[in-house]
Amino acid sequence: MVTLEKMAHLAEESRFDSLGLAAGVDERKLIALGKGTSHDVCASTYSPRDTPLPGICHAFTQDGRCVSLFKTLFTNRCSHQCSYCTNASSCSSKPQAFSYTPEELARITLTLYRGNYIEGLFLSSGAGRDEDRIMEKIVETARLLRSKHSFSGYIHLKVLPGASQAHIQEAMLLADRVSINLEAPSASRLGDICSTKSYESDIVQRQRYISRFMHDLRAEAGGRSRVLPAGQTTQLVVGAAGESDEEIFQSVLYEYREIGVKRAYYSAFSPQQKTSFECRPAQPLWREHRLYQMDWLYRVYHFHESEIRQAFSDSGFLANADPKMAIAREHLDQPVDPNAASYQELLRVPGIGPKSAERIIAYRKRQPLAAKSQLAAMGVRIKRAAPFLKINGWRDTTLLMWQA
Amino acid sequence: MKIPGDFLFYLSMHRECNERLLVRAKEIPENDLEVSLDRDDIRIKKMVRDVLGEVHRMRAFVRLSTCCDLVLFGYLKPRHRIAEYICDHLARRNAGIIVVLGNGSESWACLCRGSRVWRDHGSGLNQTLERLKAALPDDAVACKPGPDPETLWQAYYDSQYCPERKNLLAYHKNMPRRDQEAAGLRLVQNKKNVTLDDFFVSSLSSAGEHNES
Repeated sequence: MVTLEKMAHLAEESRFDSLGLAAGVDERKLIALGKGTSHDVCASTYSPRDTPLPGICHAFTQDGRCVSLFKTLFTNRCSHQCSYCTNASSCSSKPQAFSYTPEELARITLTLYRGNYIEGLFLSSGAGRDEDRIMEKIVETARLLRSKHSFSGYIHLKVLPGASQAHIQEAMLLADRVSINLEAPSASRLGDICSTKSYESDIVQRQRYISRFMHDLRAEAGGRSRVLPAGQTTQLVVGAAGESDEEIFQSVLYEYREIGVKRAYYSAFSPQQKTSFECRPAQPLWREHRLYQMDWLYRVYHFHESEIRQAFSDSGFLANADPKMAIAREHLDQPVDPNAASYQELLRVPGIGPKSAERIIAYRKRQPLAAKSQLAAMGVRIKRAAPFLKINGWRDTTLLMWQA
Repeated sequence: MKIPGDFLFYLSMHRECNERLLVRAKEIPENDLEVSLDRDDIRIKKMVRDVLGEVHRMRAFVRLSTCCDLVLFGYLKPRHRIAEYICDHLARRNAGIIVVLGNGSESWACLCRGSRVWRDHGSGLNQTLERLKAALPDDAVACKPGPDPETLWQAYYDSQYCPERKNLLAYHKNMPRRDQEAAGLRLVQNKKNVTLDDFFVSSLSSAGEHNES
């Protein structure tokens, strides 16, 4: 323990030039450019760096979503004609145009970071008149933060469709994560919602480039490279072009396998006033939720593609019910014995997740499981799991058994 | 929530932790606590999770204001003995700046420089800040004018809300009033959009929290 006076003396010794707080920020600009990213779903701040940055939510909005980053557009001027977007050049009533300067944006980020309001910056943007010029400013903002202000927080940069390879490369060297929004599951679907973007050359080709560059750098450094520690991600607008869930699943599979994205995010389409899609029906939020569950089954539970397909209806849509339960009904003919089942078999039982499956395996090494209450204490959701389990030779009676 | 290997450290910060419990906890092998169904072990596990949960939320919810270039301060009145740990975390995040957390009756100060850490524990937050101001040279205490970060934050926070996704139950679950109060957070709910529903959901969630405690 030291006295406060000594601490004050030590702090004074190490005094450095003050960063200076963000001064004279136009509140209307902050709101307009912040609003531009309110449909960007990624709020992850986890980054496995030298000192891993933990995932943390500094606040939640009234819709229950995490606010962990200062998510903003660099500018809301845009030359693209996305039919669902209020910043599109085709929108009949565009909001007032605003732009930040890199220095201004860096200072706002630092002010909020220092006050412990945010964990870092999520920087997206409209394409302006020239996407390369805007991309240059985005990179400049990140460079200012990292080099001039020694910012060690999290940075997620959006790569604008059609951005040059040189800018993408610079962005990758500065950010924890980069992403390009896929928006639609195929070229034809993207054509329905945006006539100015090319699915293959503006988006997928850029994703492949990020993937290749990351691979090359990691190979050069023998796996020790810290470039882009949180990888690349993508996001789709669900239901804007009338696509089915199965089409989305198919494109996401390609993204995971061929591009190597860390995660795909889904944002249910919601019509915005004065846009071309104003009259199209909003997609239910449960659709987004079911797609996340399906995504989780593939990415975390490692379900096989053919198993997941069982959850889709003939028309290719997911029902508003847990896809894992639908898959279990199709696949689990015999009840699973938690004392004998493998990790993968346990994971296929509704109500058992990776953690509870691990706990079951660890527990049964010492003594066999004898009652449902023991499973409940390990985090298993018994109501969901019981119809698929057989403990000590006993299983729950189900309606199907009565019918038989 | 997975029980970490150093769970004894977190257990010791629980407000109800005592010598007997620590001795009992030391006997439990690291991996066993996760799967043990023993009554004492389940209680220890719950206590560790309570502390981990509060640590996580206080790291997120405590807001720091600028006293001068060299001092950041914030309000904190946690249920468990985690204040020093939170103060350390925030001081590491703001190296070279003294971070003071506290409330009306006690305060914790921490300074990180390089790999070294200095700490102090004293009386109320205001007294500590006064003592620090007195110890610092006048030019260091003079604060440069700038906008209140809270104003910046509130404008940005309001812009992130999508009314079509309104889900007050999730909001109250993720931002319990009890933890907001512990971190001295002004309720960040967007007041322009408050409806009668908000009042009912908020009262329900408060009743739930009281029942839990």
